[in-house]
Amino acid sequence: MTGAEALPPFAEDIFVSKGKGVQLLGSRCPQCGRAFFPRTGICPDDGTATEALRLDGEASLYSFTVVRTKPPFALPAPYPVGYVDLPKHDLRVFMLLDPDRIDALEIGMPMRLASGEMGVDLKGRRCIRPYFTPADTKG
Amino acid sequence: MVHILGIGLTPFGRHVERTIDHIGGQAVRAALADAGVSAREIEGAFVANALGAMLLGDTTIGQTILSGLGLRGLPVVNVENACTSGSTALWLAWNAIRAGQMDVALVLGVEKMCVPSLGLIDSGRTAIDTQLGLVTPASFALRARRHMHEFGTTHAQMAAVVEKSRRHALMNPDAMFRRAETVEQVMAGPSVADPLTRSECCPIADGAAALVLVSDALARRHGADIRIESVVLRSGDYGNPADLVRWKTDEETAARAYEMAGRGPESIDIIECHDAFSIAEILHCEALGLCAPGEGGRLAASGETALGGRIPVNVSGGLLSRGHPVAATGVAQIVEIATHLRGQAGDRQVTGARTGLAQCMGGDLAGDTKSCTVAILSR
Repeated sequence: MTGAEALPPFAEDIFVSKGKGVQLLGSRCPQCGRAFFPRTGICPDDGTATEALRLDGEASLYSFTVVRTKPPFALPAPYPVGYVDLPKHDLRVFMLLDPDRIDALEIGMPMRLASGEMGVDLKGRRCIRPYFTPADTKG
Repeated sequence: MVHILGIGLTPFGRHVERTIDHIGGQAVRAALADAGVSAREIEGAFVANALGAMLLGDTTIGQTILSGLGLRGLPVVNVENACTSGSTALWLAWNAIRAGQMDVALVLGVEKMCVPSLGLIDSGRTAIDTQLGLVTPASFALRARRHMHEFGTTHAQMAAVVEKSRRHALMNPDAMFRRAETVEQVMAGPSVADPLTRSECCPIADGAAALVLVSDALARRHGADIRIESVVLRSGDYGNPADLVRWKTDEETAARAYEMAGRGPESIDIIECHDAFSIAEILHCEALGLCAPGEGGRLAASGETALGGRIPVNVSGGLLSRGHPVAATGVAQIVEIATHLRGQAGDRQVTGARTGLAQCMGGDLAGDTKSCTVAILSR
């Protein structure tokens, strides 16, 4: 993905990518402890201002599908999506999955976050999107 | 108590050459004629339309349609609540009569969506999930895959929902898809979002449905014989982690509707539910208490939810075969149930039906629905 590092993220405040490390940006309510993704500034349950939280730790695949209709935002055809469990934060997040590992996907498998050029953003520009890939994906 | 005096339908299909006024007007005229009341007797109107602002660039469509039918100088409320737009209009009208605000209310659900500008339905273009590829069929495919994993539900059981839907629609002259389809044919179709094939996703359509609701006093005068026992409207909980196969919002909306009506699923004779996808009917049957959690796939394949079975579900053909003009669906479900309670459903009549339930669901947020409705009717 030559030149991919220069492309903008598809949206702000969703993920950070430093070298090989990619993390989702969440938040946590200091009052009730609830974690959020995407990040929310105010806890909807008690109105407390939240703290920034990077969603690290283990990840496993809760469910997945491969979308085979015409993709929105010029995503790859076909493209897989899924819900991934982040037990450390008690969160289940919806995310793109690795379009090159469709045949490997199984519910319950360990996953890790990656990012790369995928599709276009709301303004039609090429952009970087985060995606989960099986933990054993090389690279 | 609120009663249904009149019902009307603009059959669902592709009405490319017709304007939304025309599509909506046909259903209103039919409902007024069925009720035996004139336009001037309507005291308030609740008009559901979900997509007109986006697809047609039209707003306040209710007044546009009703002004051409002689309904003027009355409260008109336009309602948008995704796939529950129509059932939300019913909820509003029901409450307006219960509150003593009016004795005769019109409910209209109308949609014109067979236009070139319609893409795949999603949760709104700016939503992060949408930008990460969450189209509506995918959100139900994710539920399907998890249901198969947790409960051993098979793709053939899901396809059985469609086979039944098509069989029912053969008996409904107002349905959009009127051709039989076997389980094998459903499964062999092109995949939209694995495992869901094209036949497991409901078709878009143009269409409208209308109701005339009346108070007790007018029901006695006109001889209305269908009662609305309960209508419940509820937003999602948006809890995280969201359980994709035990739909709490669906279950709690149904539980409240049963409680308010003072009856349970065992005393319901006919059900119309929001089968936008094959797996959706399976999930809703579980949430409505027709079977134990996880047993919806086996229930669908057992024949118990087919016409002649223990509890017929979507005898109209449902969204899968009648078609799904978004805001018209919730009202059309009530029209279908009222038709059965009157004993006027022809070949598809559920024999001796005295109670019916309609369930609708719309929108997608944080792995939950944004809106759910359940209504219970009796005669």
